[in-house]
Amino acid sequence: MKSRQSKTYNIVLTGVGGTGVLTAARILGSAAVKQGFRVRVGEVHGIAQRGGMIDVQVRIGEDVFAPTFMEGQANLLIGFELAEALRHANKLSREGVAIINDYRITPTMVTLGHGSYPAREKVIAAIKRFTKNMMIINAVNLAKEAGSAVTVGSVLLGAAVSVNGFPLKMETLKKTVEDLLSKRLLRENLKALDLGYNFARS
Amino acid sequence: MNVADPEFLLDDSPGRVMLLLGNEAIAKGAVEGGVSVVAAYPGTPSSEIADTLSLLASKGGFYMEYSTNEKVAMEVAASASFCGLRSLTCMKHVGLNVASDAFISLVHTGVRGGMVIITVDDPFCWSSQNEQDNRFFAQFSGAPMLEPSDPQEAKDITAYAFELSEELQEPVLVRTTTRVSHARGDVKLGSTKRKPSLKGTFERDPRFGLLPASARVRHKVVLKRIEEARQLSEKSRLNSVFGDGKTGIITSGVSHNYVMEAINALNLEASIFKLGFTHPLPEERLMSFMSSHDPIIIVEELEPYLENHVKALSNRLKKKVRIFGKQDGFFPRTGEFNTRIVIDGISKSLDMKHVTVSPEIEKAYAEVQPLLPPRPPTLCAGCSHRATYYAVKVAAKGLNPLYSNDIGCYSLGVAPPFQMYDTMLCMGSGTGIACGFSAAQDQPVIAFAGDSTFFHASIPALINAVYNRHSFLLVVMDNGATAMTGHQPHPGTGVSGMGKPAPKVKIEEIARGIGVKLVYVIDPFDVKKSIRVFRDTLKKVQERKEVAVVVSRRECALLTIRRKRKEKTPIMPWKVDPEKCTGCMICVEEFACPAIFVANEKVVIDPNICVDCGVCAEICPYGAIEREKDRHEVKTI
Ligand code: SF4
Ligand code: SF4
Repeated sequence: MKSRQSKTYNIVLTGVGGTGVLTAARILGSAAVKQGFRVRVGEVHGIAQRGGMIDVQVRIGEDVFAPTFMEGQANLLIGFELAEALRHANKLSREGVAIINDYRITPTMVTLGHGSYPAREKVIAAIKRFTKNMMIINAVNLAKEAGSAVTVGSVLLGAAVSVNGFPLKMETLKKTVEDLLSKRLLRENLKALDLGYNFARS
Repeated sequence: MNVADPEFLLDDSPGRVMLLLGNEAIAKGAVEGGVSVVAAYPGTPSSEIADTLSLLASKGGFYMEYSTNEKVAMEVAASASFCGLRSLTCMKHVGLNVASDAFISLVHTGVRGGMVIITVDDPFCWSSQNEQDNRFFAQFSGAPMLEPSDPQEAKDITAYAFELSEELQEPVLVRTTTRVSHARGDVKLGSTKRKPSLKGTFERDPRFGLLPASARVRHKVVLKRIEEARQLSEKSRLNSVFGDGKTGIITSGVSHNYVMEAINALNLEASIFKLGFTHPLPEERLMSFMSSHDPIIIVEELEPYLENHVKALSNRLKKKVRIFGKQDGFFPRTGEFNTRIVIDGISKSLDMKHVTVSPEIEKAYAEVQPLLPPRPPTLCAGCSHRATYYAVKVAAKGLNPLYSNDIGCYSLGVAPPFQMYDTMLCMGSGTGIACGFSAAQDQPVIAFAGDSTFFHASIPALINAVYNRHSFLLVVMDNGATAMTGHQPHPGTGVSGMGKPAPKVKIEEIARGIGVKLVYVIDPFDVKKSIRVFRDTLKKVQERKEVAVVVSRRECALLTIRRKRKEKTPIMPWKVDPEKCTGCMICVEEFACPAIFVANEKVVIDPNICVDCGVCAEICPYGAIEREKDRHEVKTI
């Protein structure tokens, strides 16, 4: 049997439960189906969504089976939070790209004195051990510029479109956002996609 | 997040391809199968099945209810089937424990209309209190069982399960796991031409009344049906062999996917026996597979269910085959599988050398581990449970009570700074365990239950407490939803599974009706009053040696945000005035809202996380926390 793994595009989205990670993954998955790909999205719901760490894996290709993939296999990491990006940096392949929101959420455990949150530079240096292709992006500011802090996910997805080899088109993402997200913030989300993309290109 | 309206699932658009969550696909399969009655109690990882069907029921013309617990749901679905209608109930793995009394006997009575029971197991206990393997329930009861491996099969198998059930006149168990139910995949939709009906008819039949005389007869029927089912399993397309090679791999459910990834990665020539009809197993086909392959590798999550059967069958073979599974340690018996575990297991079985993950990545990752901050799940910002726990803790200071906790969002009270749990077992156990504590020892006892949990399984235990004169305080944390599983309605919410207004069952009235004398209702956001009520009640419980119930009522914070957004009520974050803050750290160390953190030795509130509940301001003894003037868009969904 011939190895077909290389044809699958693997994305890991990481962050804190309840901040839009699942929604972003769902947009990627739906957009991929629109473009005619086979898709698997591996999610975790329930207790993990309550402010804990969360990672969702999206696999896009022609012949995808497992809903998750191994360490060293991600083409793209989309990090919604710095330390959570590091927690899954080992999923990246050597050529993999990391797009990371420059944002820290201090876990309550740390506030209470259990463990510590490392300095921003330390986290970034640690992620660099797994990939040289890293983009740090202040998605919260761009989201606010788009009109609402809740559009952080769209900013990050917009940035992803600029990545070489990323299989989804901006127009498909926009169409999917129109289908899936609340009409209330549609304009803001579409703008956030553009802002993310433009930031990443500049 | 705006969950896209699932109404398209009712469309008759066969061939259309959509991205569906495994659980949505099951709901779609139920619609395609013409389901008429759905009854369920939510539980991760099964909840979205019932939730999707609840949203579709009115338009789709079928009946849907959230029942008070899984046993009731099983009975509702059973009687609909007795009336000749197609019915479905769905639950998480431990839900089937609750429903098992009805379930096992239901296999004895048999059914009329197709009846499908979905059980979703949770390997690795992502959101559960145990890691049981419900495939044994099929063997235990005699019910036929089907196991999908991905969202497409989840849909197809659910639709087919109704037919199988009608053919065998038995309820059919469809067993999935977290990674099938909570995986999304491209799913080709089928036809929804078959329409539901609510015009069932019941005809009296001795089999539906299980007196000993009829039960003895029925047990024989069950055995006969198992044999008929085995014949179907032998012929079933759901059990298929493909690929070629001397090595034979037997697998089922989600493990099949990891096997496919593994043989691709290993470039392995192997035949795969993929099982989708897993009770009864196709014994003859398994035997012939074993006689033409060697070695046999069995890849299945959790218990060695297939392995036990396959090994027993191999004894009937003339030749000896090598069988590798988990009994000899090639695959783990706990947790969930992934591609790596399956590659490792297969290559170990075959003595192949294979490096799954590069040693540099492993080394770098081990070295960065110490940098990672701990981040367990927490109660949300603005969560009413935090306020309740705070008040109980302050009120119980010095009493050193035992805490019997229960299942729900409030389980997160186990985390610092509250750590208000000594026991947590199963739904409703907070109250039952408190009864035993009261009888067995002298420390004061405080039990917790959520509103939905109270209706589900606490009521018999509370009656027990009154009847047997147990003495403890039960705190019912009523946030107006089954919050942990996705805010489903329950008997106290005034909304039905059909999305229609419903009578509201009041927890305090139940408590009074049972005969509890000390019943109080508080709003936990009124912190001072709450502390006073808890203090007084605890005192009375000790003096009068009886049970007391305090209903702590305040809407779930996530519902509040949703409501405020809809009403266009501004959500204003709060902030700490550094001039007034003395650094006493009470808000951090004793309350610990996730929006509050310490930066440069100053207490600050993250305006992106704060949801404007104002409780921290009540707790601050120095009046240092105040509302910001600017409106803010809160990120939490
Ligand atoms: S409780 Fe009030 S005074 Fe004390 S540290 Fe917190 S904000 Fe400051
Ligand atoms: S008002 Fe205080 S307690 Fe409420 S969410 Fe904001 S920071 Fe947390």
